[in-house]
Amino acid sequence: MGKYWQIAKGRMQENTAYSAWYWAGTVSSVMRLLIIYFFWQAVYANQTTIQNINLETMLTYIVIAMLLQGFVGGVGNELAENIKEGQVAIELMRPYDMIFKMFAVDVGEKVMYLIQGTIPMILIAYFFMDLSFPKSPETILLFVVSALVGIWIGTFFDFLVGVLAFWTVNVWGVRVLKESLITFFSGALVPITLFPDWLRTITEFLPFQAMVYLPVSIYSGLITGTDAYMALGVQLFWLISLYVLVRVIWSQAIKQITIFGG
Amino acid sequence: MRRYTRLYWEFAKSHMKVMMEYRIDFLIGVASVMLEQFASIFFVKVVFDHIEQINGWSFYEILFIYGIAATGRSIHQIFFDNLWTLGWQYIRPGKLDRLLIRPVNPLFHVVADRLHQDGFGQLIIGLIILGTAIPQVDLVWGAAEIAMLVMMIISSGLIFVAINLFFATFSFWMIDSLPIVWAVFNLSDFARYPLTIYHKGIRMFLTWIIPYGFTAFYPAAYFIDKSGYKEFALWTPVAAIVCCVLAYVFWNRGLKAFASTGS
Repeated sequence: MGKYWQIAKGRMQENTAYSAWYWAGTVSSVMRLLIIYFFWQAVYANQTTIQNINLETMLTYIVIAMLLQGFVGGVGNELAENIKEGQVAIELMRPYDMIFKMFAVDVGEKVMYLIQGTIPMILIAYFFMDLSFPKSPETILLFVVSALVGIWIGTFFDFLVGVLAFWTVNVWGVRVLKESLITFFSGALVPITLFPDWLRTITEFLPFQAMVYLPVSIYSGLITGTDAYMALGVQLFWLISLYVLVRVIWSQAIKQITIFGG
Repeated sequence: MRRYTRLYWEFAKSHMKVMMEYRIDFLIGVASVMLEQFASIFFVKVVFDHIEQINGWSFYEILFIYGIAATGRSIHQIFFDNLWTLGWQYIRPGKLDRLLIRPVNPLFHVVADRLHQDGFGQLIIGLIILGTAIPQVDLVWGAAEIAMLVMMIISSGLIFVAINLFFATFSFWMIDSLPIVWAVFNLSDFARYPLTIYHKGIRMFLTWIIPYGFTAFYPAAYFIDKSGYKEFALWTPVAAIVCCVLAYVFWNRGLKAFASTGS
């Protein structure tokens, strides 16, 4: 009897470890909301607008950007783990396209994340921080499309980074590197319009702004009218380019495994 | 004491060798931490391009707060980073049981098992931030000030260590407390900015409950007395010692609870 109790207890302890991750994530997000809120309140204490953006729009932008950033990426970590543990070789023999399979798993995770993590957070944010809604249904629709495209661009990019695990051991380092690049260039921290000119020019040539900045700017009304459709065009360009790149690099990587595996 | 110093040196030497085996990874680790820090500083810079001050603090003064936290954190990250792995690398696979029968303090063993290369990136960036901020901050720097700064940074590092140790200790009861350690560690993000911008409740919490305020804001307030915390800042080293003692006592309790289940 005793040993079964131990097994059951072990299992329960493991499960609490997972739900502990959920709660840790939620607590951290709430804390980030608090920091954002107080930081920007202090920034706007002495002025009403910064680059024609008022406090309400700024907070809306930052909070939506923070929430959206949570969806950008994810598949790369899974892939890197698979590669490190040698699972890839087995996965490749299975009768499905591994890339699609990984994306499918990722979509599942993101839907869960949306329900468990994002929706409660949105409620908290609207309730306490008094954010603004988009002006028209058209804007909402545009935002949803743009956000989805942005998430896919992020996912493809993440996949490309994950593939690097074939060549490097320090997966954690690469991941932090990627996160910083995205946080930095995607406009997740601050609207790109606030960047110095030279840096804004650079970001226009990078895919990162298409992940967060463009969708969130559509939402918060920083980009409107035909500009919004232009933004969507830019996003589609990156979506297709990165997908092609994913295919090319993946087929190269597979060749590499086949060589190693003999 | 001499024995432990020698032991640590042996541990560190073998670890260095491994580190140099994977040189590219070493560089990636250092670069990634530096870029991460740089991104958040750049964020503050971009904001300050459009405003003069936040709550009376200028860009370089905020940078100074930030620099103390970053440097203090590097002490924790280089030497004590292994505490993060207590649950999944020691308790879960049963490795801790083996440590317990060795004639070495188990906490020392866990800590000495790893020198974390990425922490060097943190140290470098911390020193760069301080080096950038200090000449721009309106202060006279003599030997006394430098000694004080060093002491504040060490205190800051010890508080990071104590808080992590305290929450890692929960692993003895729940196998792996990593999520808690992680969530609590994220609280240190509050410490980057002057605590005075926050609601009073948050300020109290970061002073008396989880004292991240002492890792950056209070030490900085000793040098830049914007909000009347100069005197209070002198408690920083005391806070560090108290935290370390509390965390160590708690660790010993956890260890005892763990050993008596005999698992």
